[in-house]
Amino acid sequence: MGAEMPSRRAFLGAFAAGTAGLAIGFRWQEAAGQAAPAPVTPMLRSNPRLDSWVRITPDGRIVVLTGRVELGQGVLTAMRQIAAEELDVAPERIELISGDTAQTANEGVTAGSQSIRFGGEALGVACADARATLLGVAATQWSMERAALGVRDGVIEGLGGRRMTYAEAASHVSLVRPVDTTARRKPPMAATLIGTSMPRTDIPAKVFGRQVFIHDMRPEGLLFGAVARPPGYAAKLVSLDMDWARGLPGVVAVVRDGSFLGVVARREEQANDAARKIVAAARWQDGAALFGGKTAFDHLLTAPAETRTIHTTEAGPAGARSHRAEYRRGFQAHASIGASCALARWDDGRLTVWSHTQGPFPLRGDLARGLRMQPDAIRVIHAQGSGCYGHNGADDVALDAALLARAVPGKPVRVHWTHEEEMVWEPWGSAMVVRLEAGLGADGGLASWAHDVWSFPHSTRPGGSSGCNLRSAWYLENPVPPPRATDGALPNGAAARNAVPIYAVPGQKVTTHFHAEMPVRTSALRTLGGYFNVVAAEMFMDECAALAGQDPVAYRLRHLRDPRLVAVLQRAVALSGWQPRPVTLGRGRAQGTELVGTGVGLSKYKNSDSHVAVVARVAVDVGSGAVRVQRMWAATEAGRAVNPDGIANQIEGGMVQSASWTLMEEGRWDGRRMTSEDYHAYPIIGFGQVPAIESVLIDRPDLPALGVGEGSQGPTGAAIANAILDATGRHVPEVPFTPERVLAALRA
Amino acid sequence: MLRLSVNGRTTEVEVDPATPLIFVLRNDLELNGPKLGCGRAQCGACTVLVDGRAVRSCQMRAGDAVGHVVTTLEGLGTPERPHPLQAAFIAEQAAQCGYCTNGMIMQAAALLQERPASLDEATVKEVLDHNLCRCGTQPRVVRAVLRAANGRGA
Ligand code: FES
Ligand code: FES
Repeated sequence: MGAEMPSRRAFLGAFAAGTAGLAIGFRWQEAAGQAAPAPVTPMLRSNPRLDSWVRITPDGRIVVLTGRVELGQGVLTAMRQIAAEELDVAPERIELISGDTAQTANEGVTAGSQSIRFGGEALGVACADARATLLGVAATQWSMERAALGVRDGVIEGLGGRRMTYAEAASHVSLVRPVDTTARRKPPMAATLIGTSMPRTDIPAKVFGRQVFIHDMRPEGLLFGAVARPPGYAAKLVSLDMDWARGLPGVVAVVRDGSFLGVVARREEQANDAARKIVAAARWQDGAALFGGKTAFDHLLTAPAETRTIHTTEAGPAGARSHRAEYRRGFQAHASIGASCALARWDDGRLTVWSHTQGPFPLRGDLARGLRMQPDAIRVIHAQGSGCYGHNGADDVALDAALLARAVPGKPVRVHWTHEEEMVWEPWGSAMVVRLEAGLGADGGLASWAHDVWSFPHSTRPGGSSGCNLRSAWYLENPVPPPRATDGALPNGAAARNAVPIYAVPGQKVTTHFHAEMPVRTSALRTLGGYFNVVAAEMFMDECAALAGQDPVAYRLRHLRDPRLVAVLQRAVALSGWQPRPVTLGRGRAQGTELVGTGVGLSKYKNSDSHVAVVARVAVDVGSGAVRVQRMWAATEAGRAVNPDGIANQIEGGMVQSASWTLMEEGRWDGRRMTSEDYHAYPIIGFGQVPAIESVLIDRPDLPALGVGEGSQGPTGAAIANAILDATGRHVPEVPFTPERVLAALRA
Repeated sequence: MLRLSVNGRTTEVEVDPATPLIFVLRNDLELNGPKLGCGRAQCGACTVLVDGRAVRSCQMRAGDAVGHVVTTLEGLGTPERPHPLQAAFIAEQAAQCGYCTNGMIMQAAALLQERPASLDEATVKEVLDHNLCRCGTQPRVVRAVLRAANGRGA
């Protein structure tokens, strides 16, 4: 087996798909011609070499490289579209290489809805530069004006039928140089691929059962690894009969390093069985109880935290009265359908790891520190995994595979966590408490706004400059502990993501109460704190609107100054057939044995990214408190839409996932560890509860593309919460809105 | 030695009959279709057809598959001759990460075989209710199954 284990062969030539069914899209009427030249995207500043983005080989292959990785979000299709557009080649001719520390640009992590906005822009400029350079070669040779030349599928065409392939042009010029950042991309109006719903290039392989995932990689001599996890996060290994363990069926090696314990076996089920038996047979010493027996919310509000006011604006006239409320959300999991997986092989002290990490370069750095070796002796190659939705076990399992494979040099070892292992040992999305306080003027308008958030970390990803954020490193004989967690600063924010109000209100104040110490390890779950800050703030808006006796939509519009937010709000509201009316606190809207209500949620992700408005209609069963979301409507505007169907897929998928978080998801723990270890203990939404969704996209080809991968989570949760408020007239302050909590609010 | 009939071919595998079928399909027969998800009969990612019925291959012992006809996603169709569901999933772009896709298609394939006539949205949702998708592609999956049922695969 060479270092190359191509998993993407099957994707090429897989473009025979039919047209994708998508939602309604309409183009902004007054779309203006030329966009202003954008500032140089940060990705080109950190990766200036042209050949780290695009290469034309002497035999005519067109190789495009991206540091971004496919997570099921369709990013590689969008990158192919962008490159094909700027290079003027057929999309299927492009060979796309993604996320390989030996080849591609270091684009950090593929996260935070930034791929298209930053990575796509960088790739677009690099390809535009390459095209202009190759055209320049032909223009000189033929003594023609560059403007008189055209390109058809990688062949430059000039007057009088002259033709020159890219490969030939490339033989006269060096593309191994820095990118000319002043290269102009095609004007949006001239684009023929960008803006179309080109079918996803990875879907055919997925429906025909081709090799796609790391889980499917079977290099020659493959062995299987499994980790024998301690019974609790703080437990330590006291003893194990190693000879007995080595004698278990199929076992090739047993690895013990401090409290890290694992096996390599000939068969996958043998590795799993052996790990299970070893956990039971080993003697462990228990650690201290989680949260000292308190609830996570008590812990957040009472244990010492770093308190910082991170945003203020000038105060206006004092309000006539005030309103305050508290909102809480428990721990939530990524709960990927396929647990994390990695494949590792050692050859003469060098390590190759295939991983579905979101950040091959950051992972390499942490692997190097965890294994106490040089980063350049490690190569990390991205291969697909199950959707991750943030920082799940993907990186951790890579270290597990490396630690286990080290016992069998030259042999590839695949480690595929069990679902229980993922649920117990992955980093969870943080529990949060949000308190809001507003002053209301005599006319009911907002006179001040204070948002306080208590939270554990939202990013403990690999990629720091010291320590190791890969879990098993903490259990080694010579442990490499994680660096101290920090909170992300504004404008993006982490705990305080989207805590700065989108509404025009004087006297704003945002304060974080950050807990760097985390009894339950937490990290990035899609949107970080954004989802819950939006849910809390938007619930609070409806309560303020109710106190002012105003319709929630009208109340929002009177406080909005951002025309893009106004546009999506009005569009979603129109789509839903919204009936303006004030929310009545303390009184429900009965319809038979149900209470029925409609609510709205609005956000501009990270205060700078996609604009999304959602309207939800719910029915609440009076007897059980169960909430059923009947229908949702959404409007999205994210600047220039590279692939409208891809955006629809992300927005609608995010709405389904957010409905699941909002209605049913909450992690539980005992004294030692999380106990929500399967889909019974931690249910996620099924087909029966998925509501009908109608979503529209407002395309603004005149504006830069914005990220959409996380745009709909917050407003969806908010719309459901506000629909419950509308239906019941009651404040239900804790996510998820389980039947018990809704019933308790109804009976209060 | 177990004699298994998978995707129209009979193969012999040297394996403990108690081995869960999924590991034999994936690791011995090198099939990619059935995916290991929860391993606890809760997610459906591992679904295969056994004598035409949808079965969770993480729960079935390989030995119990002897004498029965096993079909995986690979046996359903090929890019040249796709099963109507495979064509419909592409046409509707009914996947994100695609890890659940095998289960969705195999469960729906059994449904189409059993009840080709009376397929409506409610039935599709009911039958797929225990097939989980974390990416939130359920609305697209329903559209794809109905498209295939209505005989307009592509
Ligand atoms: S893996 Fe078999 S049902 Fe989940
Ligand atoms: S498409 Fe990712 S789990 Fe369904």
